[in-house]
Amino acid sequence: MESSPLNLRRAIIWMGRLILGGIFVYAGFSKLLMPNTHLWPMFVLKFSISMNISSFAQQVESYKLISPEASQVVAHTLPFVEIVLGLLLLIGWRLRICATAITAIMVGFLAVVTRAYFLHMDINCGCFGTPEKLTGMTVVRDGALAALALLMTIFAFLEARQPHPWSAPEKA
Amino acid sequence: MEVFSDFQCPACKTLYITTNRKIMDDYVSTGKVYLIHRDFPLAMHAHSRVAARYARAAAQLGKNETVEQALFQNQEKWEQSGDVDGTVAAVLSAAEMAKVRALVKGGTLDAAIDKDFALGQLYRVNQTPTTVFHSGGQTYPYAGVMSYDTLKSFLDQLLSGH
Repeated sequence: MESSPLNLRRAIIWMGRLILGGIFVYAGFSKLLMPNTHLWPMFVLKFSISMNISSFAQQVESYKLISPEASQVVAHTLPFVEIVLGLLLLIGWRLRICATAITAIMVGFLAVVTRAYFLHMDINCGCFGTPEKLTGMTVVRDGALAALALLMTIFAFLEARQPHPWSAPEKA
Repeated sequence: MEVFSDFQCPACKTLYITTNRKIMDDYVSTGKVYLIHRDFPLAMHAHSRVAARYARAAAQLGKNETVEQALFQNQEKWEQSGDVDGTVAAVLSAAEMAKVRALVKGGTLDAAIDKDFALGQLYRVNQTPTTVFHSGGQTYPYAGVMSYDTLKSFLDQLLSGH
């Protein structure tokens, strides 16, 4: 059996899976468990998560793009979506679907942070659990990650058209 | 519970208006919870230390709640104009205001503000508002704004001895 040749496309897909998957899982967990990380007893953990989600909702609201109610919905769903998509990307299940979803989310993040940056909004980016000022570096970082996500997705679709290197050659 | 707060911080205003005022009515007035306001004026806010001085001066006259409420409710106005004095003067009598101004000019209030700030640093407070709960020998610092219902549920659990 031959090993899978590691061409540039596959290398970028792997990089994208590891980097974006890892970042998404971390971002999701950090929004739930940071900055308040008291984990025990159970009611304390529940209060910690409620507080962290509440803080994240305020950060979403500070972008002044959606209503406070919609910000609450985003804050209560986005961390879980990030964790699930990140894990699925890491294990490679339904790669093209997950990569597309992550690209859409990253492009969305890039659009909102770019808008806030050019409007000179003095806010926290809300990217991870701990407060982090939105700066030009945030835009650059999100731009790089969105580009990686886009490349990963395009290459995942292109690779899917190729016969798998481990598959047996078709008989004439 | 100790609330490390900055009068110019919007989240502190939200916590005060949406949650802590009701907590004062339902838990503090009834003697279930002891609430301490701690000043944690952040360097990024130009007028927060001045506001803290006025609030502390008013507290010495027993007018802390009145002034705290006025400062938070009119935060956007004095944040723009820098007119903390006018905001406080609007809710105090002329005689009270004269005493408050004298205390503020006296320059003795900064030491108490700095003491609160140092205490916050001891608790590793790095954002406002941060609420530090003490119960059963345990200390739980929480950064951020909590809703009244969330905090009520937490306090009830703490008060029930878990």
